[in-house]
Amino acid sequence: MKKITTVILLTLLTFLLSGCWSKRELNELAIAVALGVDKTDDNYEVSVQIVDPGQISSKQPASGRAPVITYTAQGKTVFEAIRKITNSSPRKPYFSHLQVVVIGEKLASEGIEPTIDFLARDHEIRNDFNIIVANKTTAKEVLNVLTPIEKIPAQKISSSIQNSEKAWGSTLTVNIDDLITTLRSNENSPVLTAIEVIGDPKLGIDQTNVERIKTPVILEFSGLAVFKQDKFVGVLTDDESKSYNFLNDNVESTIEVISCPKEGRLSTEITKSKTKIKGKIVNGIPKLTVHIEIDQNVGEVDCTINLAEKETIQMINEKTSNLIKEKTEQVLNTIQKNYQVDNLGFSEVLHRADPKEWKKIKEDWATIFPELEVNVKVNVRTLGVGTIHNSISQQSKE
Amino acid sequence: MSSSKNNHNDTSQPTSNSTKHLLNPSLAQNIKTIKRAVGNSNDIIIREILIGKSEKQPIAIVYTDGLADKTAITDFIMESLMLDFDEPFESKSEAVNQYLKDTCLPVGDVKDIGDFPTLFNSILNGETVILLDGVTKGIATSTKSSKDRAITEPSTESVIRGPKESFTETLRTNTALIRRKIKNPNLWIKSRVIGKVTQTDIAVMYINGIANEKIVKEVLNRLDSIDIDSILESGYIEALIQDSKYTIFPTIYNSERPDVISAELLEGKVAIFVDGTPFVLIVPALLTSFLQSSEDYYQNFIISSLIRFLRFFGISISLIVPSLYVSITTFHQEMLPTAMLISLASQREGVPFPAFVEALIMEIAFEILREAGLRMPRTIGPAVSIVGTLVIGQAAVEAGIVSAVMVIIVALTAICSFLFPAYGLSNTIRVLRFPLMFLAAGFGLFGVIIGVMALILHLCSLRSFGVPYMSPFAPIIPDDQKDALVLFPRGSLLTRPRLVSKSNTIRGHKHLKNENNN
Repeated sequence: MKKITTVILLTLLTFLLSGCWSKRELNELAIAVALGVDKTDDNYEVSVQIVDPGQISSKQPASGRAPVITYTAQGKTVFEAIRKITNSSPRKPYFSHLQVVVIGEKLASEGIEPTIDFLARDHEIRNDFNIIVANKTTAKEVLNVLTPIEKIPAQKISSSIQNSEKAWGSTLTVNIDDLITTLRSNENSPVLTAIEVIGDPKLGIDQTNVERIKTPVILEFSGLAVFKQDKFVGVLTDDESKSYNFLNDNVESTIEVISCPKEGRLSTEITKSKTKIKGKIVNGIPKLTVHIEIDQNVGEVDCTINLAEKETIQMINEKTSNLIKEKTEQVLNTIQKNYQVDNLGFSEVLHRADPKEWKKIKEDWATIFPELEVNVKVNVRTLGVGTIHNSISQQSKE
Repeated sequence: MSSSKNNHNDTSQPTSNSTKHLLNPSLAQNIKTIKRAVGNSNDIIIREILIGKSEKQPIAIVYTDGLADKTAITDFIMESLMLDFDEPFESKSEAVNQYLKDTCLPVGDVKDIGDFPTLFNSILNGETVILLDGVTKGIATSTKSSKDRAITEPSTESVIRGPKESFTETLRTNTALIRRKIKNPNLWIKSRVIGKVTQTDIAVMYINGIANEKIVKEVLNRLDSIDIDSILESGYIEALIQDSKYTIFPTIYNSERPDVISAELLEGKVAIFVDGTPFVLIVPALLTSFLQSSEDYYQNFIISSLIRFLRFFGISISLIVPSLYVSITTFHQEMLPTAMLISLASQREGVPFPAFVEALIMEIAFEILREAGLRMPRTIGPAVSIVGTLVIGQAAVEAGIVSAVMVIIVALTAICSFLFPAYGLSNTIRVLRFPLMFLAAGFGLFGVIIGVMALILHLCSLRSFGVPYMSPFAPIIPDDQKDALVLFPRGSLLTRPRLVSKSNTIRGHKHLKNENNN
């Protein structure tokens, strides 16, 4: 009996001694949804976007307060700067629900590795947030724009990047794990989505930004940011980004516009795209072939063609495949010649295809890459023409 | 020759009650002893009459007013003795006794009484005792009046489809209700009288050939070893014979439904009836019995299986949801989807208490309401619940003392705790919720898991009359899975629980017949 009493008392003590260790009530948290990192001279400048839960909840009437607050602090390292945020924030930022990390252009050009280290090391930060680069602006300014519909700007960025990736194909969702994997391999370099602030950044901070039917300041993706190792080197245009995604096997659905034989245009909806890169090394000269298999539907016809004819469909297939081939070759050229960054994993393809030969040319890869011969083969199938057959203008003629 | 012995007994009576004291040949002396023993209580009626036409013989009729059937006494005892009795006989001899029994008492059950303890036992059970002058043996005639409550619909275990009868407070009625359902000579009853003061009748019922003999023997042994002054409800017996005294889980099942008890008897279990309560005990009890309703067997097996899943789900909710809420919102906020976290956080803005205290306040408030609702006179009940819902549900949230989610969680756990077919387990779960909440507040999910694991270990260590409480899950018995988590169609339920009825596990007509031949 005495033993049992002792055991029970000891068990009860564990409750009291531990004292709810590491307990944090929901109303003691500052839920951080976005983190922006900039570089100012020698220091890091960190901006943290924190949600004001009372303003998000649909039940309570909006009292005109902003749904999120952005706090900024400077420090010699990212971690130091983040802790310094508590100087201005009423609660300690809680990073588990981080949606997006924005890296300022300046910091990106100087190298993102130090920032990434903190993001990967800290236990509170999960690995499911998107990493993007602020194009022609700072991360702080990106985080200081209020957005309509999605009250939380970070939520806007994260859902809009996903939607654009799914339906348009010019962006790329990259999380911390993808980024680290890419950075760790020697030859490969990462590609991140770039974001731009359109409009006067000073207006974006104000509530008026979400009060008008046409938002004065918007956040818009401007294509993909190309990195060489961990340094930002340039931005692909929207069109180039889309073609890059074709090569990268990252297009789920997009729209391509081809010209009709006589006049007018025709747009097709890509519904499926599958890319395979094959490589071989012949006599020490590496050769690559990119196979792109595309399924598409006719989405909009702005000319007089007869879609009921097999030849017309064949023509559409041919034109689309030529267009994509042309555009992808162009972006390949940009990557190979201008940026000289192997961010499509060509080296890995060759390594896998012929490990022995690869070892021989490995050292010279930097010089081989710009001159690498890459064949793009595009195979397009048109599966449907939509709910009407021929264009309305043609129907009226008949 | 016997008088000296009686005298000796009379003198020793004040010092030792246990000494058997026999009836005195003198009727007057016997009456005096009875009156003294019952303290002249006026409900013990002693009627002295003279019988016989030629030679008057003084006799006394003793019974308890209210327990004995007065009409039966007048019609079958008084009348036949006073009016019809007209035979010459040798007075003051035991032959009179025999003669009376054989020819003059048109009553079902008649037996001889030689001593006072038996006499008191008889009259206090509603029997009528006839004492003759000069004879040291009395006659007890069964004149029990059946002033029962009528057989009503069960009030604690109601079903939509199924028999609408329930046990009453009378032991005989209860055993008869089972006899009516199982018309088989193998349905055996063993009687016991327990309670030194109350002298309560206990009946142990089982089906010979199906019930495990070891269990029957064990039940009788445990009942015999009970040493207590009173048994007022079957709960007394339950507490005294259960395997493990220090467990919060009920290891003996009880029911007020004859169909449930019959079904359990047919599975080879043993029923214990206690006079004075409609709740009949069943041993051995397994955890699954507490989660099964008799109605499961009366409706489509698919529906029953789904409802059983619902019950298991309901248990989990009612047991762990408050602690999950506390642990996730105070320790593991990263587990929530962002939108939910923000919504929860916005509700908690301005709530002055930690989540744990908030949960504790609400759960205790609900338990108070529930208890109040139970004990209140029925007419006040609705008023209590209206005040309860208003105060707890609305006002507390509007006053900012608790968050709206907490109200939802308390309501959810409360409703889920009413999902149990057996009330006993519902109380257990209701209590266990609190230690789990403490663990959650102290250690987060880690604590909750430790708590649940400890609970499962405890459950696995429990036994009910030697049968593992968690069977057929631990140990796993493949055959018994047909009627555990899910219910198989009627036609495939051909076996009895293996650990319960060890000797005869095959159901069915053929097998029982063989049993009868043996």
